Amino acid sequence: MDRRAVFFLGSALVCLLLVPLTPTDLRWFALAVAGVYLLLAAGSALDNRSRRRRPPRPR
Amino acid sequence: MQTLALCIVVAVALAFDFVNGFHDAANSIATVVSTRVLSPRFAVAWAAFFNFAAFLIFGTHVANTIANDVVDQSVISIGLIFAALLGAIAWNLITFFLGLPTSSSHALIGGMAGAAVAKAGFGVLVWEGLRTIAVFIVLAPLAGLAASFVMMMIVLWSVHRSKKVERLNRGFRHLQLVSAGAYSLGHGANDAQKTMGVILALLIATGHAGKNADVPLWVVLGAHTAIALGTLTGGWRIVKTMGSKLTRIKPVGGVCAESAAAGMLFFTSAQGIPVSTTHTITGGIVGVGASQRLAAVRWGVAGRVVWAWVFTIPGAALMAAAAYGILKAF
Repeated sequence: MDRRAVFFLGSALVCLLLVPLTPTDLRWFALAVAGVYLLLAAGSALDNRSRRRRPPRPR
Repeated sequence: MQTLALCIVVAVALAFDFVNGFHDAANSIATVVSTRVLSPRFAVAWAAFFNFAAFLIFGTHVANTIANDVVDQSVISIGLIFAALLGAIAWNLITFFLGLPTSSSHALIGGMAGAAVAKAGFGVLVWEGLRTIAVFIVLAPLAGLAASFVMMMIVLWSVHRSKKVERLNRGFRHLQLVSAGAYSLGHGANDAQKTMGVILALLIATGHAGKNADVPLWVVLGAHTAIALGTLTGGWRIVKTMGSKLTRIKPVGGVCAESAAAGMLFFTSAQGIPVSTTHTITGGIVGVGASQRLAAVRWGVAGRVVWAWVFTIPGAALMAAAAYGILKAF
């Protein structure tokens, strides 16, 4: 699996773990950051997949 | 006698702010200097100006958090604050000579907590306030990283067809002045307020200010002047670590990293959360590196930086506790 996607997934997980510890009025922020990381992980995985499927350029 | 002691500790607090500027503010100009947009001399003057100007824009929410939400006010005394400052300054100097971009803010918070525990035990810590600070130790750099990564993606995507990345970098060279100025503004707002918070706590403890008093104007001006003067003096070892060792930064990356970090500092300053400006810009720089490829980030250096962060609060707390013990013995 794409290392960058794994990194982003790990970061999203850390943010989600922080949600219960965050003061109630700021929980939206931790959730939003986690959401962004999940999107980045998905985007990065898709990008990696499309690169692998692309045929090599002719020389 | 008490007034003299108070004046000395206020002077030490301002000296801490000066060291903070010297130690931390280098972060705001690291990318500007490493991309050769400004000479080091002009870059520090630029950052110092915005450090000072921050008092015109931001309130004193962070100062109130430091004064009220770290340790119980009833335990604060001149000796405690003095020990806290000594612990934090000692930690900052050690990490400065090791070239590690640790957080002066967390050293200060660790120092206050350590001295308070040495004086009256763990019961005097305000856990809710400390928990919020601890959450944002992790959240601030992660948010900075994500924001700078997204900004880089948007910029690179917008020019990917024309393949004019070199021209783009030339254009972004001057935009870096804006982003570095914004970051310095955020740095001045968040970091100078920590010193204001310490002085406010001291004034309340000695009866020179009411329990819910606002930060006096002389304290606001003094803290911003001290941090600006510290910035003007510069801290080149950390400029080197931040600007070139972590990942190689080009002007477009510098703008994204600084803008993301500035946004984060504006948000946390408005919310009254003391965060590390060093952590936030490091997150931004790593985000830029990760937008190229993960291997572009020197993870060994980044790991060393993270370990320095982890040890900052306990390290400064231990030093402050030792300082309090020594002061008490005399």
